[in-house]
Amino acid sequence: MSERRIGVYICHCGGNISDYVDVAKVRDAIKDEPGVVHAETTLFACSDGTQQDMIQRIRDEKLDGLVVASCSPKLHLFTFRGVSKRAGLNPFQYSQVNIREQDSWAHGDDHAGATEKAIGLVKAGIARTQWSVPLEPISVKTTPKTLVIGAGIAGLRAAIGLADIGLGVYLVEREKELGGWVARFGAMYPNRSSGRELIDRLVAEVKKRPEIVVLTNAELASKSGSFGNYVTEIRINNDIPDSLRLEVGSIVVATGFDTYRPEIGEYGYGIDGVLTLPEFKELVDHSTGSLTYHGKPVRTVAYIYCVGNRQPGGNEYCSRYCCAATVHASIEVDRIDQNVHQYHLYRDIRTYGKFELMYEESRKRGSVYMKFPDGTPPSVAKAPDGRTLLVTTRDTLTGGEELTIPADLVVLVTGMVPRDNEELTTILKLPVGSDGFYNEIHPKLRPVETVVDGVMIAGACQGPKNSTESVASGLTAVTQSGAMLMKGVAELDPLVATVDPERCTWCGACQEVCPYAAIDKITVDGREVATISAATCKGCGGCTSYCPDHAIDLLGSTTSQIESMIDSLAEDPLERVEEPVA
Amino acid sequence: MTAVTFIDTGLLADVKRFGAADVSACFSCGNCTAICPLSDNDGTFPRRMIRYAQVGMKDALLSSKELWTCYHCGKCSDSCPQQADPAEYMAAARRYAIASYDRTRLARTMYTRPFVGSAIALLVAVFFATFLYSAHGSQSNRSLKVFDFIPEHLIHYTGIAVMVLIALAGLAGIVTMARGIARREGVQFRQLPLAGIFGALWNAIGVESIGQRRYRGDCSEIQETEPLYRRRWLAHSLTLWGFLGLLGATLLDYGLSLIGVRKTGAAVPVWYPVRLLGTLAGIAMVYGVSMLIVNRLLRSNRAAKESKPSDWMFLVMLWVVGFSGFLIEIALYLPHAPSWGYWVFLFHVSVAMELMLLLPFIKFAHAIYRPVALFFYALAGEQAKQAGREELTSAA
Repeated sequence: MSERRIGVYICHCGGNISDYVDVAKVRDAIKDEPGVVHAETTLFACSDGTQQDMIQRIRDEKLDGLVVASCSPKLHLFTFRGVSKRAGLNPFQYSQVNIREQDSWAHGDDHAGATEKAIGLVKAGIARTQWSVPLEPISVKTTPKTLVIGAGIAGLRAAIGLADIGLGVYLVEREKELGGWVARFGAMYPNRSSGRELIDRLVAEVKKRPEIVVLTNAELASKSGSFGNYVTEIRINNDIPDSLRLEVGSIVVATGFDTYRPEIGEYGYGIDGVLTLPEFKELVDHSTGSLTYHGKPVRTVAYIYCVGNRQPGGNEYCSRYCCAATVHASIEVDRIDQNVHQYHLYRDIRTYGKFELMYEESRKRGSVYMKFPDGTPPSVAKAPDGRTLLVTTRDTLTGGEELTIPADLVVLVTGMVPRDNEELTTILKLPVGSDGFYNEIHPKLRPVETVVDGVMIAGACQGPKNSTESVASGLTAVTQSGAMLMKGVAELDPLVATVDPERCTWCGACQEVCPYAAIDKITVDGREVATISAATCKGCGGCTSYCPDHAIDLLGSTTSQIESMIDSLAEDPLERVEEPVA
Repeated sequence: MTAVTFIDTGLLADVKRFGAADVSACFSCGNCTAICPLSDNDGTFPRRMIRYAQVGMKDALLSSKELWTCYHCGKCSDSCPQQADPAEYMAAARRYAIASYDRTRLARTMYTRPFVGSAIALLVAVFFATFLYSAHGSQSNRSLKVFDFIPEHLIHYTGIAVMVLIALAGLAGIVTMARGIARREGVQFRQLPLAGIFGALWNAIGVESIGQRRYRGDCSEIQETEPLYRRRWLAHSLTLWGFLGLLGATLLDYGLSLIGVRKTGAAVPVWYPVRLLGTLAGIAMVYGVSMLIVNRLLRSNRAAKESKPSDWMFLVMLWVVGFSGFLIEIALYLPHAPSWGYWVFLFHVSVAMELMLLLPFIKFAHAIYRPVALFFYALAGEQAKQAGREELTSAA
């Protein structure tokens, strides 16, 4: 007979479960399982009232294990771990059984079968809890320093923020100068202060802070260690190459974006007078009094939007900054010379939020916006006289007849593309999305963290962003770094793999399969055995199943727990009849 | 047919010189189209007319018959969320069209350069007065013998010369316009039944131009802003009918002398039918023109809100011709011919000549261009009917 005192709750989920699963029958079927001292059904296990009842029950009945059969652990694992903790029960003594997504919702056409499956799943959950042991979070000391990679507007602002909350900062920039893209920009929305000015202000702030060490012409060469205690090597590409070893607790990647480079011939790119948006912005930013190109006055400009973006099979995403940037540029052009005719050939104008007002201003200043039908993009050719460019397009608002605009300049509104940072991506093991930008864990809830603990992404390396959004995400990374490093210690989930040195014979198989490089070889009592860094291990369990000596166990999902679950599921859930004694 | 249209980047700026409201603000929402009583099933009028100017589609704008189907009721401007004033734009586009159909550029000057335009008008009047006066004879003081003062044949042949000139200028404009519309609409005259063409002609000239059907009907404002006696359609109709009446009286007068019934200039009583027709038509026209002038002065409706020198020139000349005509008539029936009667006559004839000579170049030009557009409009209707009939036949 079991010594355990396990409480089991079977949730109706307000009908989501109980409409298909006979929860009372489930309760009756499991209430006499070994170790179960309490079993009940509840309308909503996650409700405040039920949580209070659970806490009371755990205390009164001195429960040492808790099973809730309800929804996916993705939804409420932490809820009931919290309930356990508040009741004085070790949170890792709690098991969640999913009888909603994996049962009632999946088997709505077979109530008896769903009930039978629920009984099996709950019994397996109880079996697993029989073997549960209290676990404590792993605590590691952290280094109160952050490495910021990339000194564009996001990286600069993040460095200042990090220094201000009391962390040491290494700001590493690949180029010779700080500032990235924004340093090259002229007047920016909304108050027309220039990008150069903004960067100068940030750089001045950086210089005021001795906590920030700025390294230019520098790149990350290697990274080892684990969250809280990374050891990085920085390569300095000066005339005399150099290398630095830096210890940091976290890393913020703010490596920015590149602009799309059209192919030669794409919308006439390569013909004199056909420019990309950044090239045109540079021309506008350096113009006063009149807009001239190669010394000739510019009378007509045609913009072609969405070049290199929103292309099926190519870059399918929208860079969304480019509409606003182009509309802004057209207003700047109008400020320089009101007599310049400007034609905007677009697919959709996405001047979201406050940029809409800019769009309206641009139209009122005389810019003509012409939507070309999908599938018939404009074309650009040199006029026979060789002086102007002929842009042929269709305007959906006038019935789509073919129109030719004689233009002095054609601006290809090019979007953002991911930077080619293969080395960095490999060193940091950063997750890259199908679009080539770095991926966060969750776009809304964990927007700057990556699956690599302590490595965050900020700015346009994550996907197209404007300066405002880049700075905001840079500051989010500051907050996350602070949350990780300011306590001085970090608590890590104890659900990691451990090695039994008695059994281990060091074959090296585990080290080969570990995707996180968490396994090393050490010598214990003269024998070579494996050791696993708890701070680096992610608890994936790869090594556990691979070990030929069964020397590795995964805490929280030990071999005995998994085997007892399998044994339980292998039994006929309804007919557990004692074998008749022969 | 698929010739590429070149964009005229300066079109909108040019149209604006003719009084266009701020149509840069237009974002093609189509509220104007939704409310316009003339908008039909393709749902593009008047929105697309504005778009043509924004984009720079000059040929498309000038070959749009729709430009002239609008009578400026102003409903679109009332409903425009961008205050782009589409109605005023349409008026400006018509002025622009008048200026563009005329290749001498005189119409453009009359519209866009008030001082030069006025100087030209004055010079032309002075020229006619001087020219006619150079052949002057005696002023009888017993009764008003105007043709003793200015020889009838001189007026006659000068008149014919003026008519030939305006016929040439007007015809050139009409041909330019009609060819543009026909090309854009793809009208194949040879394939149309004669009845259809005549039907369209009747509709354009009879029903709409003379009958003023839409002007009175669809295109009157919902809430009239002026009292009945100077309502817009009334003033316009009286002006038009009065003018036509005077033209008819003049032609009859000439015709009667041709067939030897009565010599031109011979004394007749007030009730003599041709004289009576002239008198009544003159009253109608002077009344109508006076009301149009009052409306423009008071800016009492949408159409009267903005006036260009060319508009004033036309109205003032019409009024002057009509009013001076009455003074002559009064002088004719006075017991003793006053000497001012002769000078008023000279003035009257000079201004009338000028009015006719300037017809294709001032606001008056709408009288020749609008019927052309209305003809194509009616023709499109006839074509649609024809297509419908063919469909029925082929179905049967």
